[in-house]
Amino acid sequence: MGRRRSGFPGELVRKNSAFWLQCLLGLALVALVVLVFRTTQSNLELLGVQSGFDFLWKKAGFSISQHLIPYTEDSPIWVALAVAILNTLLLAVFCIFLASLLGLFVGIGRLSSNWLVSRLSLAYLEVFRNIPVLLQIFFWYYVALRALPSLESSIFISDYLVLNNRGLYFPFIEFANGFSINPPVMGRFAYEGGFYLMPEFLALWIGLSLYNGSYISEIVRSGFQSVARGQWEAGTALGLKPATVLRRVAFPQALRAVLPPLTTVYMNMFKATSLAAAIAYPEIVSVFVGTVNNLAGRPVEVMAVSLVFYAGVSFLVAWLMGRWNKRVTLRGQ
Amino acid sequence: MKTSTARQSAGLPGWLRRNLFSSWWNAAVSLVLLGLLAMLAVRLFQWLIIDAQWAGSAPSACADTTSLCWPFVRARWPQFLYGLYPSDEVWRVNLGLAAGALLGAALAVRRMPARRWIAAFLLLAYPPLAWWLFRGGTWGLTPVETSLWGGFFLTLVVTGSVFWVSLLAGVLLALGRQSRMALVRQACTVWIEFWRAVPVLVLLFVVIIMLPLFLPANIEIDQLGRAMIAFAILMSTYLAEAVRGGLQSLSAGQYEAARALGLNWRQSRLHVVLPQALAVSLPQITSNFIGLFKETTVLLVIGLFDLLGEVQRAASDPQWLGTGTTAAGYIFVAVFFWTACFCLSRASSRLERRMTRYRAAAT
Repeated sequence: MGRRRSGFPGELVRKNSAFWLQCLLGLALVALVVLVFRTTQSNLELLGVQSGFDFLWKKAGFSISQHLIPYTEDSPIWVALAVAILNTLLLAVFCIFLASLLGLFVGIGRLSSNWLVSRLSLAYLEVFRNIPVLLQIFFWYYVALRALPSLESSIFISDYLVLNNRGLYFPFIEFANGFSINPPVMGRFAYEGGFYLMPEFLALWIGLSLYNGSYISEIVRSGFQSVARGQWEAGTALGLKPATVLRRVAFPQALRAVLPPLTTVYMNMFKATSLAAAIAYPEIVSVFVGTVNNLAGRPVEVMAVSLVFYAGVSFLVAWLMGRWNKRVTLRGQ
Repeated sequence: MKTSTARQSAGLPGWLRRNLFSSWWNAAVSLVLLGLLAMLAVRLFQWLIIDAQWAGSAPSACADTTSLCWPFVRARWPQFLYGLYPSDEVWRVNLGLAAGALLGAALAVRRMPARRWIAAFLLLAYPPLAWWLFRGGTWGLTPVETSLWGGFFLTLVVTGSVFWVSLLAGVLLALGRQSRMALVRQACTVWIEFWRAVPVLVLLFVVIIMLPLFLPANIEIDQLGRAMIAFAILMSTYLAEAVRGGLQSLSAGQYEAARALGLNWRQSRLHVVLPQALAVSLPQITSNFIGLFKETTVLLVIGLFDLLGEVQRAASDPQWLGTGTTAAGYIFVAVFFWTACFCLSRASSRLERRMTRYRAAAT
């Protein structure tokens, strides 16, 4: 790298050569981008593909089996996109909640003085962490949920919670005229009213939560173990109950060690919701990257929108967790 | 909480009292868990062994479509291993994989002579040779299209090839992110941070649909190639982050010492910085490797048949339809992946412990 003499002048020569090297690299990058852009343009022209985002306002023309906002086949494509985004976020939120709960209990279970509890927690961790998550989702979807009884012989977990091979039905708040709670009622062909989670959703929810819960349990365990022994002893010496020491002394300190790796698992879980495309749960990959891409014939725009969505949410989550992390870290460290 | 030492006694009763029945609360929890465990064990045994169908290897052997159907695995075994690879040419797959396994095993023996040369051969010459053997087309080997590859074989090929390319690219990206040249540093950072936010399935679709548009019409890359490019883009950014962790753990003194010795950039990275950084980040690298291995199952979504894809394809054969066959196939795949990942992670943590000891002895 450049001529090398001893001392300061040599540094100058190196800095200069680095400058020209950077210019060269920058030019090469720009040239590559221009080349790819030109090739893409001519390829699209050859294929007769139009460009632009106007397709978002065209009629969608396909149905979506789960929509949190009003949607029909006549709705424009951007509404379908919004439906898909909401479905993705719903799944992600459900998964984050259940996986965190599982991870917290199993992680604490690992540290239990009860041999059976700690061994079972370890068994859970080793079993679910070492099997591909897609296989687990398939197992729940194609084997476990298929074994559920049909509509006629539904399982009533309680009066309002109904489970059969079409999904899980539960009461839901109704805003139509005023405010009421709307339980599922057996209609002519299916349960009506209330809210229901389709089998695809359930399989993804269970599969992703069990898989990522195992990672979270490991994070929780090492978080609690990072709390100094003296802290536990001091808490006990103050006469606090073990559960109180866990909650008020150990947990706040463990949180500091837990948050950064937890952010990574949450992000991974959010990204993994895209596996929904494998069993056709209508989230952004199956609706937008799949169906809309085939119908609209605007590959570049469709891909750009999905990439921006995933990158945007990931950066948002990273930013929020970073702020939370800043609040819990010790001042002066 | 542990009971006082005075009440502890030796032998099984003492162990039980200490670990399962140390208090009323603990005793209750233990009993409930034991009950549940016994129930689960009985149900599992019933489902996996007693109620399962064992005899035969034809679809007629599984008259009952709901109970577990092991003949399905026996009948479709070759397909699970090799996909649609022509059976006359399967020896090539066996030879290639066996050679790789042998080289790997030789590397694991610590007192192996010429270990350095074996490593160099495995890293530099083996991958292209194996690809040539599998793909054929020259020097008298019949060509075998990659669309025929599948099963366990495809899982291994994708994992191995992607990891091989990504490790090299990842090291370069990690070094680039540390570079003193602002442009290189920024470019690498943006590249890594962006791709880290994208799910593998989305990137697979992006590459499959966009790559042909980016390339001139006369360059054609098949589905497997595109899938591997997508995997390699993600894997290299993950590995770059792993290596960066190792690079940051080195003290500045190491960099300064290398420069004081008069080593240039390439020499200092190759002989001083990278050997130490890679050793530190080895656990991270292995866990990424395990992640990649598990993630190859996603290939079935884009119409490539890895191990899980082959099982899925075989289970959708109308002759074998039923949850019993599907479940048997899944259990087979699960056992395979579980064993491989468990052994890999155990080996990795053993290596980590050994290195910690080694480093503690060195300082």
